[in-house]
Amino acid sequence: MAQQANLGELLSMLDSPVLSVRDEVTAVFKENLSSDRGPMLVNTLVDYYLETKSQPVLHILTTLQEPHDKHLLDKMNDCMGRAASRLPALSLLGHVIRLQPPWKHKLSQAPLLPSLLKCLKVDTDVIVLTTGVLVLITMLPMIPQSGKQHLHDFFDIFGRLSSWCLKKPGHVTEIYLVHLHASVYALFHRLYGMYPCNFVSFLRSHYSMKENLDTFEEVVRPMMEHVRIHPELVTGSKDHELDPRRWKRLETHDVVIECAKISLDPAEASYEDGDSVSPQVSARFPHRAADVAASPYVDMQNSCGSATSTPYSSSRLTLFSTPGQPPQTLSPPSTRLLTEPPQATLWSPSMVCGMTTPPTSPGNVPPDLSHPYSKWFQSWGLPVWFFDWSCLCFSLEELPGSKGSVPLSDLPGFLGDLASEEDSIEKAKEEAAISKELSEITTAGTEPLVPRGGFDSPFYRDSLPGCPRKNHSAASGAQGASVNPEPLNSSLDKLGPDTPKQAFTPIDPPCGGANQSPAGSRERQTALETDILTPSPCKIPPQRGVGFGSGQPPPYDHLFEVALPKTAHHFVSKKTKELLKKAKGNAEEDCPPSTSPAEVLDRLIQQGADAHSKELNKLSLPSKSVDWTHFGGSPPSDEIRTLRNQLLLLHNQLLYERFKRQQHALRNRRLLRRVIRAAALEEHNAAMKDQLKLQEKDIQIWKVSMQKEQARYSQLQEQRDTMVTQLHSQIRQLQHDREEFYNQSQELQTKLEDCRNMIAELRLELKKANSKVCHTELLLSQVSQKLSNSESVQQQMEFLNRQLLVLGEVNELYLEQLQSKHSDTTKEVEMMKAACRKELEKNRSHVLQQNQRLDTSQKRILELESHLAKKDHLLLEQKKYLEDVKVQARGQLQAAESRYEAQKRITQVFELEILDLYGRLEKDGLLKKLEEEKAEAAEAAEERLASCKDGCSDSVTGHNEEASGHNGETKPPRPGGGARGGGASRGGGGGSELSTPEKPPTQRAGLFSSRWETTVGESATSIPTTVGSFPSSKSFLGMKARELFRNKSESQCDEDSVTISSLSETLKTELGKDPGAEAKTPLHLDGPQPSPPSPDSVGQLHIMDYDETHQEHSEG
Amino acid sequence: MTEDSQRNFRSVYYEKVGFRGVEEKKSLEILLKDDRLDIEKLCTFSQRFPLPSMYRALVWKVLLGILPPHHESHAQVMMYRKEQYCDVLHALKVVRFVSDATPQVEVYLHMYQLESGKLPRSPSFPLEPEDEVFLAIAKAVEEMVEDSVDCYWIIRCFVNQLNNKYRESLPQLPKAFEQYLNLEDSRLLSHLKTCSALSRLPYDLWFKRCFAGCLPESSLQRVWDKVVSGSCKILVFVAVEILLTFKIKVMALNSAEKITKFLENIPQDSSDAIVSKAIDLWHKHCGTPVHSA
Repeated sequence: MAQQANLGELLSMLDSPVLSVRDEVTAVFKENLSSDRGPMLVNTLVDYYLETKSQPVLHILTTLQEPHDKHLLDKMNDCMGRAASRLPALSLLGHVIRLQPPWKHKLSQAPLLPSLLKCLKVDTDVIVLTTGVLVLITMLPMIPQSGKQHLHDFFDIFGRLSSWCLKKPGHVTEIYLVHLHASVYALFHRLYGMYPCNFVSFLRSHYSMKENLDTFEEVVRPMMEHVRIHPELVTGSKDHELDPRRWKRLETHDVVIECAKISLDPAEASYEDGDSVSPQVSARFPHRAADVAASPYVDMQNSCGSATSTPYSSSRLTLFSTPGQPPQTLSPPSTRLLTEPPQATLWSPSMVCGMTTPPTSPGNVPPDLSHPYSKWFQSWGLPVWFFDWSCLCFSLEELPGSKGSVPLSDLPGFLGDLASEEDSIEKAKEEAAISKELSEITTAGTEPLVPRGGFDSPFYRDSLPGCPRKNHSAASGAQGASVNPEPLNSSLDKLGPDTPKQAFTPIDPPCGGANQSPAGSRERQTALETDILTPSPCKIPPQRGVGFGSGQPPPYDHLFEVALPKTAHHFVSKKTKELLKKAKGNAEEDCPPSTSPAEVLDRLIQQGADAHSKELNKLSLPSKSVDWTHFGGSPPSDEIRTLRNQLLLLHNQLLYERFKRQQHALRNRRLLRRVIRAAALEEHNAAMKDQLKLQEKDIQIWKVSMQKEQARYSQLQEQRDTMVTQLHSQIRQLQHDREEFYNQSQELQTKLEDCRNMIAELRLELKKANSKVCHTELLLSQVSQKLSNSESVQQQMEFLNRQLLVLGEVNELYLEQLQSKHSDTTKEVEMMKAACRKELEKNRSHVLQQNQRLDTSQKRILELESHLAKKDHLLLEQKKYLEDVKVQARGQLQAAESRYEAQKRITQVFELEILDLYGRLEKDGLLKKLEEEKAEAAEAAEERLASCKDGCSDSVTGHNEEASGHNGETKPPRPGGGARGGGASRGGGGGSELSTPEKPPTQRAGLFSSRWETTVGESATSIPTTVGSFPSSKSFLGMKARELFRNKSESQCDEDSVTISSLSETLKTELGKDPGAEAKTPLHLDGPQPSPPSPDSVGQLHIMDYDETHQEHSEG
Repeated sequence: MTEDSQRNFRSVYYEKVGFRGVEEKKSLEILLKDDRLDIEKLCTFSQRFPLPSMYRALVWKVLLGILPPHHESHAQVMMYRKEQYCDVLHALKVVRFVSDATPQVEVYLHMYQLESGKLPRSPSFPLEPEDEVFLAIAKAVEEMVEDSVDCYWIIRCFVNQLNNKYRESLPQLPKAFEQYLNLEDSRLLSHLKTCSALSRLPYDLWFKRCFAGCLPESSLQRVWDKVVSGSCKILVFVAVEILLTFKIKVMALNSAEKITKFLENIPQDSSDAIVSKAIDLWHKHCGTPVHSA
């Protein structure tokens, strides 16, 4: 508690008038705040502030550090909940956020924001609403990413408040609504600037409803006329707008400027990057451009504003903005300014677009005018007004005629003085100054660079703080400073580069004349002025048919007046009044939407201020309060409250504007930094260029010296070369000499050698000669000996020759004798020889023949042998082929055989089947016939005898048939089978064909099977055929059939035996039953045998017996 | 030379590297191109390599003598065979031994009986053990060969071969089996002996039926390739290999009945591997047959 008491004390001490105490206490609080993290202290501070509105507390609260922000926000949230403390809480919030605390990003998460939004949605107090909206607008650029969650809240608030502006709930005073409208207008700008797509879609959906249509027409639509199409509407999307990435790289002031960029309202709009006032607005409402330019001045005038150019405009512009007021005296510079800004704005499209001809009046303005501007601007690349201030400085500096150089700090004051001065002089001076300055600029293109670097920025800085110094309300001053330069600069722009070329210089003399007699030079001026000022505002409106209407007299007329300042102000004032009336009268439908809520508010304030000043003037009393009481009783409380509230609202507005100004200042600072950097870079560039030049010069010098050195070097080289060649030639000569000498010595030496050799040879020869002499002597002696010998031999030879001759003669003699004696024998010999020769030849030819024959025969033999071999080969092949074919045939044969085998088997099966069937048949028939048999036994025996003879002959034929049937493969077994299984029936069958069917003996005979059958059969066959022909005469087929039987009997004897035995069994039993019959049958059997007697029956019988036995055997 | 040039020169390496059967089809085709088929060579080939399934039926028919070695007479002979088949079948139908409802295998059996003259008096006669063998083989062949004529002839000739050519050697196989099992795994043999299962092994199934019904047809036909081409010894190795493959299970079984029962119904999934291993084993013990040419 003590601490609280202490706190209270401290708080009260905060407001103490003693500065040191206050500082101390503030320090204590700050210390506490830094040490204490609890919410208590902050809460107390807030409460205290809400109670007392104490400035030091506000200061402490606005500078709260991080951990306390939450408490502060919570506390404010609490206060917001209570209606009573809502307004102060809101204003505190406004104070806090306007300072942009480092924790501002937390605002979006704080519960304060929703409660603020809620408050804005539900509260009905206009003051709270206006304050809240302003706070919200201030807050929005700081927390752009919060739009995602609260966007619809924002829009709802906008919708609600805009409808408020129209519906005007009863208890709200109009004045408040003006404020509210202004703040809604600001909100509109902010929302449209930040979230265009979402906002437009909200507008679309919200105002498509019928009940909102009025609001739209009345409130929203005029607002929309003050914005241009947001580029995001084209390129962006709803989601993209809400993307936090979009906002991340934008600072708060960036957002603010972004929003300002899309505004067409000159009070709101911001024109960086060479953007000027949007051409449409200025073209459509030229008077409004002036009007707008005026509005801040009006404000300033109220607050004794002394912004740089206020003097010009204030007096003049009040005329425009407050039509209800009596027109004030027009100062000529202001008219000048008035006429010029529109020009500038007119020029802006061409500057922006870089077009060569202005779009409005192509014929009047030489196309090359626009060119310099754009180039100029591009080359400078500075914010427009920036340059203008420098130009203005020039002009001001060039006004030494009246004042000499004016210190920059005194500029506003000086300007104010200027305004009050005589217009003609002023005009002339200024014009002269401007022209001079402009000629300077144009003649020396680079010159402006220097002054700009010199005092541009200082001047600029000076001017800004200069405004608020004299201003009580700094915000409006700042605004004025930012807006004001625009028209001014554009005017100077316009004049700057273009006049020297085209119009200004020629005007100069007439201008001078105009100073003395302004009215006289009207005609001359007209011609000139048309040239300069054709793209004036007054010309365009009629073209567009907006604003001034079509009833306007020749569009240039009033312009001329304007151009001639002396008479101008009368004319212009008259004209403008007319126009305003007209505009008011006829264009109620098109003008009203063009006035922005801010303007309305401005006008309202101005009116209030005027009224106030009038009253004050009347009263001429020092203080207001006194004034009221003096005036007659206490002031009406309602009025006071209204006024207070209004004051509050104004304060809020002011704070909001101040915030905007700060943002702009931030922006400006950044831009300035860029400018400075650019300038520094440029200078750096220049310095670099200089260095480059110097280095190039150095290089040149070095190059020259290098050339010299090279020349000297080449000279030396040449000298050296000549020396070298000389020396070389000397050397060569000497060498040549030396070689000669060497050769000579060589020659001499060889000669010496030769001589020595010769001497040696001669000595050798001497030795040889000596030895030869000795040798010859010896030979000589020998030869003499031989000589003597040969002489003796010669003598002998002569003797012998003689003997030879003699002997030859003798021989010849003998030969003669011989020839005469043997002449006939030679013939015989010859004959013999010839015969011999012939014989030889004959033999030879014979031999030859023989040889030839031999050859041929040998060849033949060879041929034959080869033939033989071939044949053998062929034979082999044939054999092989045969073998092949054999194998092939065998293969086929085997297949056929197997097929045949199969067939055989099949037939066997068939036979078996047939037999089986027969067996069954017989079995059935037998039982029947056995009974009949008893009765017919005797009869049958008789018949049997008779039929036997017939049967014999029949059986022969039957047998023959059978024999012929044997050719078929399947036939032979059949009779055999029949003979076996049903032989009796066949045997009987033979008879039965002729005789009666009943044949008991045959049946019985069947019991004894083949025996009987064969006997009958054989007996029958025996007559025509040979004995035993049955088995043997069957040839191959018969044999086969036999084999078949045998095979079958072999393979199936078991089964057969079964059936046969069963048959015999039954028969036995029957026989046993009927012995009488049994006894008879043998008789019958034996009976017929002898009865048909035949010549060779005995033999047949034997054979038959044989066959029988054989057959029986085979069967068995 | 022509034969060599037609063959891929890499074929030698294929076998070295271990790819078997790459060139076999081609060489078989070359063999089958000869006008007079060299049965010797075909035998050797079939013993050495597994036959490609597309030529199996043809090779079997040639080896079993159903088709002569000459291509020219193939058609004619086949016609004979077919007619014979039809005749026999017709005869059986006439004597009402078979009807359309009779299973094909029994039809084959009756046909065989008819052809060999052993047709019983009535179809309802009890089956002889050799008929059971026939039926098992017929069932297997029926799976392998589609055409019924071929099928019948192959069954008939195969059975004939078993009955004639291998009449002597088949009873020797159990002994050979014991011998090779001893070589491969004496422990298993001793186990069988101790269980006294050796004599009760399903020899009938193995050797008389040539594993028909024991191995799936896809594996069986590889075994029968060897049997058809004249080697019944392969059966022994297949049996040995079966025992080796299921050694663990056989070792786990103690009673002869169980072992027999198990061996009669061995799982079929590993049969291919068994056959492959058996053929390897056979090659290992009996050596790879070489072309006699």
